[in-house]
Amino acid sequence: MVIYTYGVIDSKNIIDETIFGLEGGGINNVSYRDIGVAVSELRQKLQEITDANVLKHEEVIETLMTKFTVLPVRFSTIFNTKEDLLSMVEFYYQDFKDNFDRLHNKVEFGIKVIWLQDTIKQRIIDAYQKTKHNLSISSESPAKTFVKEKFEKHIIDKEFQEEADRCIAVVDDYFNKIATEKRLKKLQTESLLLNAAYLVEKDKQDDFKKAFEQLKNAPGDLKFLFSGPWPCYNFVALTRKPASVDYFNTEDMLGRLLAQQGLLKR
Amino acid sequence: MHNKACSRDESSMTMNRTIETDSQEEFIEEIEKVKDVLPKRIDANPKNVEKGLAKLVLTLVELIRKLLEKQAMRRIEGGSLSEEEIEGIGETLMKLENKMKELKEIFGLKDEELNLNLGPLGDLM
Repeated sequence: MVIYTYGVIDSKNIIDETIFGLEGGGINNVSYRDIGVAVSELRQKLQEITDANVLKHEEVIETLMTKFTVLPVRFSTIFNTKEDLLSMVEFYYQDFKDNFDRLHNKVEFGIKVIWLQDTIKQRIIDAYQKTKHNLSISSESPAKTFVKEKFEKHIIDKEFQEEADRCIAVVDDYFNKIATEKRLKKLQTESLLLNAAYLVEKDKQDDFKKAFEQLKNAPGDLKFLFSGPWPCYNFVALTRKPASVDYFNTEDMLGRLLAQQGLLKR
Repeated sequence: MHNKACSRDESSMTMNRTIETDSQEEFIEEIEKVKDVLPKRIDANPKNVEKGLAKLVLTLVELIRKLLEKQAMRRIEGGSLSEEEIEGIGETLMKLENKMKELKEIFGLKDEELNLNLGPLGDLM
């Protein structure tokens, strides 16, 4: 038997609600001092990652969130013995306590933004050629021609990045005052202008949704994907972090949900 | 008209989640691309250790080459270089780029493979 973990919770008490986890195992709390880890027993390490298993993991976390502050653990994290699990909790105890304080009564929302990168790039190229923000060197040698081409690309890329920063600032402005924390990923692909996660207090969820409605109805060519509320996957921060610990994140879960609906290739 | 996709989870999850977009297909395509950013780890085993090491070394060389190129472009932009210096820099960058192309071919590596995932810090390049 191995111990499968779902999340760290801010309680040392027995979980009085019956919750079933992977393989139908009942969820128990393995406590350490005043906190605990929600676990269930598995016959062996998961042999394959299925959508059903991932969604079950998520479901358990969400059920736990109705009663506790939960630090979600990455899908498929197992421990061979209770002693191993407890030594991990002992190691991260202070980190977990700090995260409970930060994440108490909060949820995560995702905002993704696509922009018309081809149109924007073409506009920048046109402007570059008009203003002749050009390199004033003769290009009689291959080396100079090479530099000229690189320089043109450098200026265009720079403008593209600056334009992205300006657009992201406009989008972020809608949510900045509502969210308590944010994680912004810029231009993960040339089209995906922004991939953002916002941490929001539970009683401000409606304000966050309203802000999104306003943003969506504002004039412009941006396209949006709104998702949430999620458990705070992107906001668990460990200061003591060996390379082997990695946290499950919203991207994986959104991918699973889309795949489950046959929208994403696997 | 856009097709508006707005859904709530139909599973037994408890959070009353909304997923809403006007451009479902485009987001799916971009999410696929982000998912496919490889490699997540250096895959070294006895059969491919040579290629694995080459990938690591060439990734670092490529990083340094890009930094040099960026620095050179900044200096050119600042107007602090003479034509002779630009000629010299151009020749160096060109040779470096060609040498990298050769090495990538030798080890069968593509541009997109010369990257490392640094976990929470994102990709190296």
